[in-house]
Amino acid sequence: MIFAQIFDTINNGLLVIDREMTVKYWNRWMAMHSGISVEKIVGTSLFSHFPELDRPNFRRNCKSVFQFGNFCYFSQRLHKYIFPMQAQGSLADTFDYMQQSCSIGPLRNQNNEIEMLYISIQDVTEVVSYQKKLISMNNTDMLTGVYNRNYMESHLSKEIERCRRYDHTMSLLMIDVDLFKTINDSYGHPCGDYALKTICERILANIRKSDSLIRYGGDEFCIIMPETTGKDAYRVAEIVRRSICDRPFTFGGDTFSTTISVGVAAYNRDNDDVESMLKKADDALYCAKQSGRNSVT
Amino acid sequence: MSTLAEQIFSSDEKDILQEVMNIAFGQATAELAEVIDIFVILSVPYIRVIKGSDLPGYLLKEMDGSPVVNLIEQNFIGKFSGQALLIFPSGAEKELIKLFNQENEAEAYGVDIDTLERETLIEVGNILIGACIGKITELLKDFVTYDPPRLLIQDLSKSTPSQFPIDKDSFAISIRTVFRFEQQNVEGYLFLITRQHSVQWLKKALQTFLESFM
Repeated sequence: MIFAQIFDTINNGLLVIDREMTVKYWNRWMAMHSGISVEKIVGTSLFSHFPELDRPNFRRNCKSVFQFGNFCYFSQRLHKYIFPMQAQGSLADTFDYMQQSCSIGPLRNQNNEIEMLYISIQDVTEVVSYQKKLISMNNTDMLTGVYNRNYMESHLSKEIERCRRYDHTMSLLMIDVDLFKTINDSYGHPCGDYALKTICERILANIRKSDSLIRYGGDEFCIIMPETTGKDAYRVAEIVRRSICDRPFTFGGDTFSTTISVGVAAYNRDNDDVESMLKKADDALYCAKQSGRNSVT
Repeated sequence: MSTLAEQIFSSDEKDILQEVMNIAFGQATAELAEVIDIFVILSVPYIRVIKGSDLPGYLLKEMDGSPVVNLIEQNFIGKFSGQALLIFPSGAEKELIKLFNQENEAEAYGVDIDTLERETLIEVGNILIGACIGKITELLKDFVTYDPPRLLIQDLSKSTPSQFPIDKDSFAISIRTVFRFEQQNVEGYLFLITRQHSVQWLKKALQTFLESFM
């Protein structure tokens, strides 16, 4: 009596299936979130309602519970969800489906034989949404909204590893705003911030979605360009450079112009790692600066 | 170390324990093949009693020169309670992904390869640990429940007892088995660590087990 009440009132999805995958019990939480009523599902095959569950991974885990009486876990990190259900409230805007953490355990009869198993489903969408926010905050530059240096350190090494493994190309652009200090000095720091934001917008408008723009330091940026040869990267760098110098900036009634210098480094399979890539791009940027700024090297 | 074992188990008890493990692991081998469709060879288990504080050093020696390992840890609780440690040398995760046909799952799930590797280790570990413990406890007429498994990537040569997920004042009945997947050259080690409070029950259960044959 008490357990039956808990079964239907607990804030978790609970269902029981037998060896034929026939649903024996289905709690109210499941009915509410799946839209499938108890009357409709009990006595029918789970797979007839959720054909996506009929895959080796799910079957293997169920078999293991029936055979060994252990517990199986479907983590949100890998599976995202087991039962497609709508995310609740405002979370539905960011998640296609409710994020779930599921576990499966054995149910024994009086002779201690495993006849059925239960599946429990926990809604972890809110936690996942906080995790996502934290990860994004940790990787984002607050002023410009582009990636920060923290992101670059992990992302660049991963990209280089990928290039090495699959024999792909990639390029790295190092960008410095020419005489940025004079903008701050002449028009004030809010104007300097505006300039940085606008520069980012113009760069983003000229690179691909798969390229990553990173604020490397105060007025230094870099772009990681996967699957891009040095020649192609140079061409993009030229377009980006022109997008900055071709149009003036306007802030609070002031109009001013600025330029950028760009260093281009292409990945070389034989001897490049994170440090050498950064050094090559930095050296190229230095040359661009030396040759009179507003240029690409 | 043998003296510690002698203090805890009589030589008869040690023999029965060895026998229980042999049967349990034999059954686990057969049934694993059915569950995961992969033939797994479990070596004859080797039983030792070790102090908790000596365990990291012991494991390092057992792992034979590859100190960086994937360690899957899972607690189980019943009359027979303890901790299972499943150890794969670093790199085995890539083989396991191939073995369990998980290669396409990363894309299907939209996760990166690191997550897939970690989750595959955990999933495979969970089934292997469940098979072995399930069979042992079944023979001894106990039913255990488990915590979710956790994956630790550890450098055994650097881990101090305080970082190691084992209570250093406890002692461990280390049951070591090496298992090998037939199609792929992956080896892993399983250690079952039980604490003092399980020993009284274990001694009784071993006795009951023996009597069932008389």
